[in-house]
Amino acid sequence: MKKTTLRDWALRLAVFVVGVGVWEFFLSHSQNFLLPTFSQMATALLHLVFLEPRFWEALYISNQALLVGYAASVVIAIPLGLLAGRLPWMDRVLNPYFGVLLVMPVAPLIPVVIIALGLGLAARVFIVVLFAVVFITINTRAGVRAVEPALIEMAKSFGARESQIWRRIIIPGALPAIFAGLRIGLGRAITGMVMVELILVASGLGRLLLEFSGRMQSDLVFATVLAVIIEALTLLSAMQFIERRIAAWAPDISLR
Amino acid sequence: MIRVKGLSKSFDTVDNGNTSVFALADIDFEVRDNEFVTVIGPSGCGKTTLLRIIAGLIPYHQGEVSIDSRPVTGPGPERAVVFQGFALMPWADVLGNVTFGLDIRGVSKSESEARAKELIKLVGLEGFERRLPKELSGGMQQRVGLARALAVNPRILLMDEPFGALDEQTRRLLQEQLLQLWERERKTVVFITHSMEEAVMLGDRVMLMTPRPGKVKEMIDVPLKRPRAHDVEKSPAFVEIKEYLWDHLRAMQAAQP
Repeated sequence: MKKTTLRDWALRLAVFVVGVGVWEFFLSHSQNFLLPTFSQMATALLHLVFLEPRFWEALYISNQALLVGYAASVVIAIPLGLLAGRLPWMDRVLNPYFGVLLVMPVAPLIPVVIIALGLGLAARVFIVVLFAVVFITINTRAGVRAVEPALIEMAKSFGARESQIWRRIIIPGALPAIFAGLRIGLGRAITGMVMVELILVASGLGRLLLEFSGRMQSDLVFATVLAVIIEALTLLSAMQFIERRIAAWAPDISLR
Repeated sequence: MIRVKGLSKSFDTVDNGNTSVFALADIDFEVRDNEFVTVIGPSGCGKTTLLRIIAGLIPYHQGEVSIDSRPVTGPGPERAVVFQGFALMPWADVLGNVTFGLDIRGVSKSESEARAKELIKLVGLEGFERRLPKELSGGMQQRVGLARALAVNPRILLMDEPFGALDEQTRRLLQEQLLQLWERERKTVVFITHSMEEAVMLGDRVMLMTPRPGKVKEMIDVPLKRPRAHDVEKSPAFVEIKEYLWDHLRAMQAAQP
């Protein structure tokens, strides 16, 4: 993977500055009282971080669902993806289910899940899993299938057992795609985490968002969303850091 | 010694599971110990299938394939394969690739690395141990493949058009290098090729195959003296055998649609 250069950062900053500039300009010349300017949003974020303990409490509550849900997704999805990639019959059996989960909008299911599982952590975890699991699975499966069959044959020619083929060929070979799936899955999990709180289970960050928007405090709404984005970016960067250490050999691939 | 008797192999066709295609029909031949046999034939003659069967990678149900009187039922430590596409693990460096066969066998890390380094030097890649395959040219990658195969000290080398993916200059260099290596230690070699020059230059005998279904047409002796280098291509005996091969191969090509 090509490392981002100083020039890349400079360009990114330039895009950012232009974007913010346009935003501030557009708002200062409009009659819109609801949209916050960038500076208002930034101030609101600082307020949340330093002056609002409820923000941290909400972050903690929301992240519980994220942590448990994401971990569960990974534990379910990776073995499923590995098996679907390696065993054609299993792939054929599971394929339609993957397809359904992939295209189905999960948000409408949220009320159903709440009815089944109540308003607590379990429901939120389940929704997070629903959002994330299929993406991790299909990327994992794609990774396994992308492993050159010649490599598996080569391993067999040296007398490798199936377990050795898995450990030495399939998993290292599929790792870049698995990481891509993990990254996409994380983004999806975060979306799910917030969405379920917005739609029905008023707790955590979702509840804060509902409260702020209810009171027309758009700067706080934006600031909360920004906080979620920052968290997501931080987690993704951490993941990319790990990935660079482990799977630096492959070009950047991403399914979906 | 490799002995093949009455070997037939069919595959079910993809479009209609009921029909079978005979890739190989009634194959009979022997490869003596320390002999270098090249196999040549048009596409569809089953030579790659044959090699894979000897390597123990494909099952067979009709006929006998045995090595030193023991039937082939799977891969074994006395055989190693060199692949046309190199089949190197892109995530491992040269050293990691060459030690692969030894690692599978459970050889200790220090021992396998020492042996691998020896062979890396032997194929002329000293200094490249930590490079990744993507940093190497095709010829270098195949030398890694060769080193990997030799690392497990096989008695039999099975080579599936190993130089087919390389440009001609690289191919010629590797042919010479292979011959030099083979002179040091005369393993039994079965070498598949599309090139008549390569078949005659490398082999003690050339096995000529016909396609659909694959059969052995003839085993041709190559009485050229060893050690050989590329200048042998100018000798009349070489030209005669090569032309003989070409006459037959051309006739086979013409007979096909």
